[in-house]
Amino acid sequence: MSAPLLSVRDLVIEFTTEQGVVRAVDGISFDVFPNETVGLVGESGCGKTVTGLSILGLVPRPPGRIAGGRIEFEGRDLVGLDESELRAIRGRDIAMIFQEPMTALNPVFTVGSQMTDVLRRYKGLSRRQARAAAIELLARVGIPAPDRRVDEYPHQLSGGMRQRVVIAMALSCDPKLIVADEPTTALDVTTQAQVLEQLVRLQEEFRMAMILVTHDLGVIAEACDRAMVMYCGRIVEQAPIEELFARPRHPYSAGLLASIPARVDDERRELPVIPGMVPDLLHLPPGCRFADRCGRRLARCDVEQPGLAPAGESRVACFNPVETPR
Amino acid sequence: MNAPAASAVDANGAPAASRRETLWHKALWKLRRDRAGMAGLAVVMLYFLAAIGVWLGWWATGWAEVAGGKWEAPSAAHWFGTNLIGQDIFARSVYSISTAFEVGLVVAVLATLLGGVLGALAGFFAGRFTDELVVWLMGVLDSIPFYLLVAAIAFAMAGNPYAMHVAMISTFWITTARLVRGEVIKLRQLEFVEAAHAIGVPEYTIVFRHILPNTLHILLVQSTITFVAAIKSEVILSFLGLGVKDGMSWGLMIAESTIEVLAGFFGNFLAASLLMFGLVMAFNFLSDALQDALDPRQVS
Repeated sequence: MSAPLLSVRDLVIEFTTEQGVVRAVDGISFDVFPNETVGLVGESGCGKTVTGLSILGLVPRPPGRIAGGRIEFEGRDLVGLDESELRAIRGRDIAMIFQEPMTALNPVFTVGSQMTDVLRRYKGLSRRQARAAAIELLARVGIPAPDRRVDEYPHQLSGGMRQRVVIAMALSCDPKLIVADEPTTALDVTTQAQVLEQLVRLQEEFRMAMILVTHDLGVIAEACDRAMVMYCGRIVEQAPIEELFARPRHPYSAGLLASIPARVDDERRELPVIPGMVPDLLHLPPGCRFADRCGRRLARCDVEQPGLAPAGESRVACFNPVETPR
Repeated sequence: MNAPAASAVDANGAPAASRRETLWHKALWKLRRDRAGMAGLAVVMLYFLAAIGVWLGWWATGWAEVAGGKWEAPSAAHWFGTNLIGQDIFARSVYSISTAFEVGLVVAVLATLLGGVLGALAGFFAGRFTDELVVWLMGVLDSIPFYLLVAAIAFAMAGNPYAMHVAMISTFWITTARLVRGEVIKLRQLEFVEAAHAIGVPEYTIVFRHILPNTLHILLVQSTITFVAAIKSEVILSFLGLGVKDGMSWGLMIAESTIEVLAGFFGNFLAASLLMFGLVMAFNFLSDALQDALDPRQVS
């Protein structure tokens, strides 16, 4: 395999709160290779969004700070770069797509003027060239009548269209990596599928890597090559997508997959839930963070934190992983 | 022709309908339907024309000349009569319109600019040093009684005719800055700001290029309010002898009238009061209408 485009090592992100310092992300490591889509899945508050933001140096500071680790993009460590160096990378090398399409566009400017702004700034296009490029981008993200839409204001577009505009803006400088933070969550279900499909197609067309941050396992299944499951600031399982869905190793991943509603036979069954609550990040157990909710807990789980270890094609942080027969 | 195509392009082949839906178009449409507001606008324009005529030397050129006898009654030659030394009151009151507009325009434009810029910076950097500094400055300036400040500035500037402008600008920007600061604190959390960050836009560009235009409706309404406040203050300051020195102002006319009213002559007093009343009322109607038209809660 080629060299990774992005390589995160032992990343620790802390937030200072009134009650004390919270580790939102606690020593995670992963690689993203060129042209692949990696999913980052987990429930609210597990640190997935903060991980995404940290790659662009956008962790709000204060209260947040990167307390340790490295984020290497094409071999260059992004942690500790100053604001102007980060600005040079943002947009051009790494772009971000945000969750809320309603507020991600400036309400007082037309779609076109926002897009041409970026194109003129980074690509040095003339006004006319930038406009043509903007129209072409809008067409590529699947906006009908782009030559008309380009002169419209954000509030005249539907949620799905706005998200497409946001995607078009993210693509406008041919980034090598896109961090998509819940790109389809705010859209209604039918639009979700369309936008997601478009995103996957564009990722291939533009030959870029993508980190897809989501809580939706369906999105992961549809769009990703690989996925990482996060729980309480740590990666608990890292696996190729087929492997994760066919043979989840970590009890948490297995629990998540089991709690997707499925109609196996005609009988209505109660949906399995994972018992218990996510522990408070201020009062974490000394051992495995999932131990309290885990059905496969060993004595060791309460005292020692499991690290990511290879298990078949996956890597899993568990002393007693689930074994699913092939 | 089917419906979508019809709505997409109008008869001239230009993009239609959709372009008219911006906040500004809606506001304009709403303003046009506001009778009091439009009447106010018409009156303000009339005053403005009068002021332009004075600046260009078309009329009221003889405001300082002695044109008749003492305290003449209104006549065809002197519409509002003459004053104690026989100057034409009509010419003097019309000339005062230009004074009022000059002060109003200069103060409204500069105070709004200053308030917008400082307010936006304070709001964007809320909680940081820039904000602390601006908020401190607002508190300090607010705590000084206005007329004391004017007197102090006039004294410090050794009778410079722009002392009152400086005094007004240095206090009137505060309200605008407070409003803009609040709005910017609200706006800066929106994702388009984060998106601008994420695409590598420098912070100052974000403030002035992306956030400040979103507060234009506040700036517009505030500038009309500041305009009225400046006109009123100019009259009061001139009356007190802190304002206009070598020109004419309604305030000076009212000051003159203090002796005349006792003698039963009301020319100066009525001319100045009525003209000022008309302008201030018209401006108030206009700014009310603007406020209604631009209130985002009612527009969008």
